[in-house]
Amino acid sequence: MLETQDMISFDAEGVCATCRQIEYKQTKIDWDERLKEFGTLLDQYRGQGPYDCIVPFSGGKDSTYTAWALVKKFNLKPLIVNYDHGFYRPTVLENTERAVKKLGVDFLKFKGDWQTVKKLMRVSLERKGDIMWHSHCGIYAYPMHMAIMHKVPLIIWGEPTSEYVSYYSYEENEQVDEKRFNRVVNLGMNAEDMVGFLDGSVTARDLFPYTYPNLADLRSIGYRSICLGNYIPWDTRKQSEIIRDELGWKGDRVEGIPFERYWYEKVEDAFQGIQDYLKWIKRGMSRMTHLASIDIRNGRMTREEGLKMIEQYEGFRPASLDVFLKAMGMTEDEFNEIALRHVVSPQVPPDLKTVPRGPELWDQKLWTINNDIA
Amino acid sequence: MIAIVDYGLGNLFSVAKAFEMLGAEARITGSPDEIRRADRVVLPGVGAFGDGMDHLRANGLDAALHDAVIRDQKPFLGICLGLQLLADVGEEYGEHRGLGWIPGRVRKLNVESVGLKVPHIGWNDVAVSRENPLFRGLKANADFYFVHSYMLDCAEPINVVATASYGEAVTAAILRGNIFATQFHPEKSQDNGLKLLENFIAWTPSATVC
Amino acid sequence: MDAVRNRMLKARLIPTVLLLDGRMIKTKQFDAFRDVGNPTTVAKVYDAQRADELIFLDITATTEHRHFLFDIVSAVANECFMPLTGGGGIRTVEQACQLLNSGADKVAINTGAVEHPAFIVELAKKFGASTVVVSIDYKRNAEGRNEVYTHRGRQPTGLDPVVWAKDAEARGAGEILLTCVDREGMMNGYDLETIRAVADAVTIPVIASGGVGTVQDLADGIVEGHASAVAAASIFHFTDQSIFKAHCHMLEQGIPVRK
Repeated sequence: MLETQDMISFDAEGVCATCRQIEYKQTKIDWDERLKEFGTLLDQYRGQGPYDCIVPFSGGKDSTYTAWALVKKFNLKPLIVNYDHGFYRPTVLENTERAVKKLGVDFLKFKGDWQTVKKLMRVSLERKGDIMWHSHCGIYAYPMHMAIMHKVPLIIWGEPTSEYVSYYSYEENEQVDEKRFNRVVNLGMNAEDMVGFLDGSVTARDLFPYTYPNLADLRSIGYRSICLGNYIPWDTRKQSEIIRDELGWKGDRVEGIPFERYWYEKVEDAFQGIQDYLKWIKRGMSRMTHLASIDIRNGRMTREEGLKMIEQYEGFRPASLDVFLKAMGMTEDEFNEIALRHVVSPQVPPDLKTVPRGPELWDQKLWTINNDIA
Repeated sequence: MIAIVDYGLGNLFSVAKAFEMLGAEARITGSPDEIRRADRVVLPGVGAFGDGMDHLRANGLDAALHDAVIRDQKPFLGICLGLQLLADVGEEYGEHRGLGWIPGRVRKLNVESVGLKVPHIGWNDVAVSRENPLFRGLKANADFYFVHSYMLDCAEPINVVATASYGEAVTAAILRGNIFATQFHPEKSQDNGLKLLENFIAWTPSATVC
Repeated sequence: MDAVRNRMLKARLIPTVLLLDGRMIKTKQFDAFRDVGNPTTVAKVYDAQRADELIFLDITATTEHRHFLFDIVSAVANECFMPLTGGGGIRTVEQACQLLNSGADKVAINTGAVEHPAFIVELAKKFGASTVVVSIDYKRNAEGRNEVYTHRGRQPTGLDPVVWAKDAEARGAGEILLTCVDREGMMNGYDLETIRAVADAVTIPVIASGGVGTVQDLADGIVEGHASAVAAASIFHFTDQSIFKAHCHMLEQGIPVRK
């Protein structure tokens, strides 16, 4: 991990905080005790109202595993709530269809207005060097609105953030609430801010799906928003294999990482390659570094192997950027100029004109966003 | 009902809002009768010792506090000036008599000689010296927000349950029977402060002041 | 540096929220307004990120719009239980009282203090010294010397910031908020020399303001500038640096901060 990572801090032995958290997770948590706690918690909500819980769902490995576990291992009747950011790829759409049918669950899908999303993507890129503000907020706010609307108080998410960064530690029971939304989800910007940034071209109503509901409304249903990963030890590799075998879940190739090793990783988002590229420009490291770190932390790769993979896979300009630029009506020079404004010290900004181009994904021409371009 | 004593000094709004956030019924009041009728009493305050005592006396609030807390033994929380006024004597702008519930003097922080700034403003770690229900569920050395230039020097160290280090050991919290008070501001100390206030709401003092 | 380490008192990181007609804005050298959001929701983000305090400064010129400051402080105090300082056009004890009753813990006074230094004494007597923050804006004048300016950087006073800070302290100020107008919004770093000169000259805490561009600037403000607290705004709006990351960086530099 480079020093430019979020929240990095090193203790006296030079071990970073996130690694210590993983150590804690592996050695100090009584997972049997946590499982018992979970059972007791679920009993409070089981059988009440139309559904036992809401499961926010993207079709990626974590939410698919969460849905599978809650139905098959914990015998819950969930309402699956799928916020659609507009960039789902064909494989993940297929996976979702299959999973939902096999599990036998009610499925609710919501897609925000594309005209508004385009505006939000532009502002998000300019202000924070990140194009997915609408997605970050929609994923975490929209299911909360559904909880209120359908009067289903228990909302169960997948992995806790302490798996990757140090905003929370494994000792704390991470509540997926408004504090967390403001702390780690919304890039420091709320819907109310966006209304001002967009100079009146969107209204508060337009941004309803991205607005966290107010505390009074959530309290009125007695809401409880928790992470499954605080009650069972999270293991993405093992879990991906389970959903592959049980639900026929398929991985997909993603820009910037090797398919064979990470077939399950971040497959649901067509623009993930661009987000990763922005991170590489800003911080000098990207998804390959992130994944190698996880593997090194969990003893599955040596540091030397990791560095070799980073050398091989990072530092390419994603082919998918063409689609994004066309959708946004933006030139690559404009994009680069904005991206370079967000470089985090001590990272030295790369010369974007000389970055080699990465290979095009098999489905790039099939993405529905190509049709959305209006 | 938690009575938050209004004697004209301090940010009562935040204290009331904090209790509201925690689901407790709290009322800002300057009425001696309401204070006598309350289930719990909170004495906040920021400002000078002498002024504080004058305001309490002028409105019969010192008598009301005596009845509610000493006579009827209701759980009591003092905050900042509300801790300092419990002393026998305060030295700010001359000598002034306090409520006298906690033997001791309120004197200026003695830190300028070690190059530290006064007032003591900011977040400081609080070390609990005697385990008690008000600090339950908080991490060891949890930090809280301080903003003061004077401190309570307790004549009886047993009354001190928590201290902060600022050039010297600053009295951070006292506990005597049903009387609890903090030099720091729990209503301004985010999660740690809210936890402490939550504990106060649920607190049943095991011992009481004779 | 030892004095810094031996304290258990943490160095404070204070985001500043500039208000104009109820909206949050940012300026460059006190000019060129840009909208940066809704002050109440921005405050909630800062609270969630565990900022140590918040400062709200209202630069709305007119008295009819004065209520925005009180309304916003109240809305924030409703949900954020952290220290709040408010300021902007506070000239009377009544206004200070209203601000405190809205939920603020400290009142920042600037032009009001320069024009009537006795105002500092009045506020300190009534509300306690720790409630009174004297805000000092300064820039380099034509003679190349630092000079205090009032009226949002428009009116020269002939005062030297170090001398004025000591005067304010003598009259009962609890803290100094020191802002370099030349560096404000420029993100090129603090004016460390002047910050240190003021911090070393007074026994009350000094909050450094104006110029932060990187998290290292914040660390420098404490270590090199001898400030007790560092204020910043642009870095949190125009970069994806956050309070969390800033605290982490300062901790890495050996500065005691909240974890």
